[in-house]
This record gives sequence, C-alpha cells and structure tokens, in this order.
Amino acid sequence: MTEKVPLIRLTKREDMAKSKVWLIRLLAFLLALVLGGLVFLIAGANPITAYSTMIAGSLGKATGIRQVVKVAVPLLGTALALAPCFAMRFWNIGAEGQITMGAMMATFFALKMVNSMPSPVLLLVMGASAAIMGALWAGIPAFFKARWGTNETLFTLMMNYIAIGIVGWLQGGPWEGKPGSQIIPMFDERAVLPTVFGVHIGWILVLVLTFLMYIYMTKTKHGYEIAVLGESENTARYAGMDVRKVMLRTACLSGGIAGLVGFMICSGADQTLYQNVAGGVGFTAITVTWLAQLNPFAMIIISLLLAVLSKGASTIQTIMGVPASISDIITGIILLCMLGCEFFINYKMIFRGHEELPAAPETAAPGVTAAPGKEVEA
Amino acid sequence: MKKFIAILLTLAMVFTFAACGGSNGGNEEPQGEPEGEAVKVGMVCIGDDNAAYDRNFYMAADAAKERLAEEGINVEWVYTYNHPEGDAVKVDCAELADAGCVAVFCNSYGQEPSMLKVAAEYPDVIFAGLTNEGSWKDNLENTVNAFPSIYEGRYLAGVAAGMKLQEMINNGEITEDEAVIGYVGAYTFAEVISGYTAFYLGAKAECPTATMMVEFIGSWGDPTMEANTAQDLIDRGAVLISQHSDSTTPATTAQANGVPHVGYNISMSDVAPEASIISSRIDWTNYFCYVIRSIVNGEKVEQDYCQHGLADGDVVLTELNENVAAAGTAETLANVRALIENGDLQIFDTSKFTVGGETVTTAFALDTDGDFVADSEEAVFDGAFHESYFQSAPYFALRIDGITLINEAY
Repeated sequence: MTEKVPLIRLTKREDMAKSKVWLIRLLAFLLALVLGGLVFLIAGANPITAYSTMIAGSLGKATGIRQVVKVAVPLLGTALALAPCFAMRFWNIGAEGQITMGAMMATFFALKMVNSMPSPVLLLVMGASAAIMGALWAGIPAFFKARWGTNETLFTLMMNYIAIGIVGWLQGGPWEGKPGSQIIPMFDERAVLPTVFGVHIGWILVLVLTFLMYIYMTKTKHGYEIAVLGESENTARYAGMDVRKVMLRTACLSGGIAGLVGFMICSGADQTLYQNVAGGVGFTAITVTWLAQLNPFAMIIISLLLAVLSKGASTIQTIMGVPASISDIITGIILLCMLGCEFFINYKMIFRGHEELPAAPETAAPGVTAAPGKEVEA
Repeated sequence: MKKFIAILLTLAMVFTFAACGGSNGGNEEPQGEPEGEAVKVGMVCIGDDNAAYDRNFYMAADAAKERLAEEGINVEWVYTYNHPEGDAVKVDCAELADAGCVAVFCNSYGQEPSMLKVAAEYPDVIFAGLTNEGSWKDNLENTVNAFPSIYEGRYLAGVAAGMKLQEMINNGEITEDEAVIGYVGAYTFAEVISGYTAFYLGAKAECPTATMMVEFIGSWGDPTMEANTAQDLIDRGAVLISQHSDSTTPATTAQANGVPHVGYNISMSDVAPEASIISSRIDWTNYFCYVIRSIVNGEKVEQDYCQHGLADGDVVLTELNENVAAAGTAETLANVRALIENGDLQIFDTSKFTVGGETVTTAFALDTDGDFVADSEEAVFDGAFHESYFQSAPYFALRIDGITLINEAY
C-alpha cells in the first residue's frame, strides 16, 4: 500500500441516538466546568466556592433573578432577530448597529415628543420607529447584496461602526445634557416601559416574539422560502421564488426586531441612550443563535444561561475579588466547549489503523474507505 | 458506550481533583476577626484595579478604614466593578443596599442619574455621588454629593510649572514667547475647564509670558490618544505638558521628548522620573470618614460637601520631584499654599485674567431650570470668581485669554 493514510480522518455521521447526543453535550458542559475550575485555581480562587457564588448571586435572590432576566431579554430578542437571516445563510453581523439605531430613534421621540402625546402612544411610537429604523439599517446592506452581490458580512459589520459613531456624536453634541458631560438626560417617566414583576415588560414581548418566530420559521410560506433559499439559491430560483425580495424582506424583519430590542434596552433598562447601548449584545446573540441551532425555544435557555454567567461574573468579582476578565475566560471556555461538541455530534473521527470495517469488507479496494457519507481529511 | 463511560469517569476524576485542589486553597481566604459589628459600606466603581482613577479611590477607602478603626468603627468595604452607567449601576446600588450597606458611594459622574433612580427605595441608606452635582439638588434626603476643591491643587501645580518655565527662560533655553504649555484635556466640561484655567493662572503668576494650548481628546482616559495628543502639543511648540486625563502616557511622552510635565490623580514621577515634576489629586479619605462617622453617630450627612480643599487635606499634591523642579519650588509652593489656605489669594482673581480682553464682572454659578445654562447665584464678587462656593462641583466655564483650545468639538 503506497497511499499515505492520514492520522485522523473525519466522516459525517447521520444517525446518532438522541440520548447519546445529549450525553455528549452534558459531557462537554462538565468538561467546560472542569477547565473553568482550573482557571479559577490559577487565579487563586476555590472553584467550588466560585461556581456556587455565581449561582447564588444570579439565582439566589430576587434582585439577581431580575437582573438575569434583564440581561437575557436583549440577548434572546437579538438571537430571534438573527435566526431568519442565518437560516437563509445571510450573515447579519450588524445587529449591534441595528439595536443602536433603533434605540436612537426611540430616544428621539422620548426626548423631543414627550409632551406632545400620552404615554402609551409615545411608547408605541418609540417602538415602531425603532423597528423601522432597525429594518432600514439592515435593509441597506441587504439591498446591496440583492442588487449587486456585495458581501453582507463586511457590509453589516461596517454599518455597526457608523451607528455607534452617530450616537456618539449625538451624545456629545445635539442631545448632550450638561456641556462636556457626554451624557444624554434621563427619559421622562412617560417614556419608560412599565414593569411587571420588577422587570420592564420587554421580557413579555420577547417571549411572545419567541413563539411568533417559531411559527414564522416553521409554519409559514415565508419560513419555507427562507429555508429553501438557505439550502440553495438556485433551487429557490428554480422554484420560482423572488430571491431578492425574500432576502430583502428577511433582512428587514431581522433588523426590525433588533431595532425593537434597542428600544427595550434604552426605554426599559437604561432609561436614556448611551453610545454603547447595545453593549456587545449584537455579537453575543450570534453565539446564542448558533448554540440554539436556530430553534427559538432553545434560545430562551441559552440566553438565560449566558445571563446567569454574566451576572455571576460580577458577583464573584464583588464577593471574591476575582477579576472580571477571569469570568470572561470561563464564559468563553463554556461557549467553546458547547459549540465544539456539536462537531463531535456531526462528525466521526477515524484514527489510522482503526478503520471501521465496512459492511462488505472483502469487496472494498485497499485505501478506499466505505464509511458512510463523504470524507474530510484533517 | 464503553468509551463514553471511560470519558465520564476520567472527567469525574479530574473534577474531584480540581475540587480537592480548591478546598486546599480555601484556607487562604481572609478571615479577619471582626472587633465589634462591622459597618458595611459599598462603592460602585467605573473600573477596577487596572485603572489609575479607581486606584485613587481604593487607596482612600483603605486609609479611611484604618483611620475609622482607630476611632472604634469597624468598616467593611464592598465593591462592584466596571459599570460606568445605565441599568447595571442601578442594580449595583440596589444590591449593595440589600446587602446591608449603610452608605453607597458611586465613584463616577455618569453613574449619578441611575443612582438617583434607586435611592428613593432605600431611604435609610446614604447614596453619595462622588464628583457629582445632581444629588444635593434633588428632593431626596438620602442622596448627597461631594467634589473637593481640586482647582486649588491645580493652581499650586501650575505654580510649580510656571517656575520651571521661568527658570528655562532665565537659563536661555527658551525665549519669553516660547513659554507655551501643552495641556491634554478630556472634554470641554466645567470640571476640565476649571482645572486647566486654575493651572494656567498658577503658571502665569510665576511666568507672566506663559501661554497655553489645550487639546481635547474626547475621552476620560485613552493611553494611546493621550500620548499622541501630548506629542502633537509638543510638535506645535509646547515646552511643558500637563493633563486632565486618566493615564500616565502624557508623562512618558513628555520625558521621551525631553520636556517637563505636571500630572494629575497619581504621582507620575515613577514612570517619568526625568520629566514629571508634581501631581495634584483629590484625597477622598476625609470624605469617606466623614460620611461613615456621621451615619454611625446618627448625625445628618451634608447634602453637598462644599469648600473642602487644600486646607482640609481633601486636595493634596504628590511629592515634589526635586530633580526636575526649578530651584526654590518647595518654598514657593509652601508660601502660596499658605496664602490660599488663609484666603489671601483668590485663585480666580478677576484682576488676573480677561475674557475677550475684558475684565469679568458677572457670571452665574448654578442652573436651576434644567437647561444646563447657569442662571442663578452671582459667582463674581469681592474681586474674584468664587469657584465651588455655591456647590462643590466646579462651574467655572469661562474661556479666558491666553489659552488656545484645539479640537473643541469634544
């Protein structure tokens, strides 16, 4: 045999038992906890105390739980926004900017129109204008992609910086409160979202959105078109779909939801507008969407998990003096393990000399594997 | 399936190992035996140990703890970190209050609006906005603010700078017209304007031909930007650098260019021993002690901690770097300091500066209608603009002659 066999080969697996899939995920999570524990040890903290402090700080009392929900709301909302785009293989990296522009529009009405309409109307106008602005911000790159095939990943990414720049200018310029302070005054109470159980009603909105998005993605013609387009643009075209229209419509829907999230953050949580109103949510939500494999209900769990980690991180810094960067490392490890384990669920590793024998080995030519699926060299 | 059990067992072993290692480490936890019941005090910090700005507060907190312990008050500090503004600050304030803190200090300007939203729910807790001005004006009894009179320290630091410039002129290193100060500023904010104007007036008192360029960077702290701006000022002809920004890079840039420097917040003589002459800073120890002591003794905490400066030790200068300072600086500083402390020297003496060529005869101190334009309390009387007199937070925002502003958009 002269042909060189690579040390490890990968084959796609198709039919792994559900229970085994979940076992792998559980193992990956445990592995992440162990690795994170080692990081804690290196940082000089007791891992058990650290983990239990994180849980106690985030879920042990009412203020903690409320904060977890408040952190999870924009994450879930933005993950929902990204889902249809990603299903269509349109890489919207611009949720950060769409949130920011949505928040900006809502803030415009909160600051300038507060005296001209009653509170419920004002809030509706703020929400609607935020959604329209977010849709517009996503629609621009989508239009260019649909029309001239530009790269939407770069385009949406660049739009983020423009949005953040615009708010930065407003914050230090036309909308600034005390000269030089770089602070926009707090909203009037009439422009603030009401609360239910101590958290702004954004949490109810995103839960409703989760359900609606599930229906939209799985039960509607639009959802079907998105799925087909995601599989193959040519198939979609062959099936008579208006690819440009679907692309533009889906991107605008995505941006609209992100804009709505921006409204919830500035009106519900911060009650004013800051340049970093999105605070990285637009990027973290990408991970949420992927981890949930575009399943809206799974996104609830994942965004809550991330919120617990984030709240827990600030708790251990306060109580144990563990730097926030250590918590960031641990969050990173957990995400990496969770995303990484999907690889082992989807692919099988074959080591040299351990080839699994095909069903009819005597007919297979040497050097040719008969493992199912296509092979990838590693 | 066997493989899986093997992996599971391995993981379990590693986990146990990690857990054991952890419990050994547990012994290192500080377990100071409390003498009497500890008074919990919270601080919401804009950054953490990595920021020079925050370290200035931790030093004061530790010093206050020590001083109060001598008085029999046992203080336990609880910090939250890295929240400059917004909802996170509200949560921090609420959690610190829930945790039993009798006072919660917010150490940055941007945190105050959020702090005020929470304070009403905890009437028994004192919420203090440091370097703020909204708390004393609101309707809540339990919100207070403080801003020591740092402009006095700035003036003194300016005196040290002016003496250096005059010495350079006398030695023939520069001509009279070349005595240009370069100042790295954060924003065109009253606190910054008041600071650099006081600094300039101090310098001018010792070097009458001195002029100043202030270049704004649009950030409270950005090491690269601060360094580049200091370099730009030097390239524009500045022969001495000072700053209102959080990092030490203006000092190192000055040293790299062979130009003297005057710092802020912390002593910068260790990073730039051949350039940095002295720094002015706020020492929060007194204020922390005052608030905590008042609460413990059941006394009312002043709504606005006003007119506490050099004389009280709330504003201090760091150690003078004799290697760089002009000869006789220490003596002159001591003399000028005495004049400031006994009130013989008014920092913003209206006979010492002009605006648009005119002497200033009137200027308002406070804004009462919320449009951010001062509209009440005449600050100019008895021949001087009275800074930090009607409220502790600086309100001097006049643009005096002799100072050129660069990049004013910030």
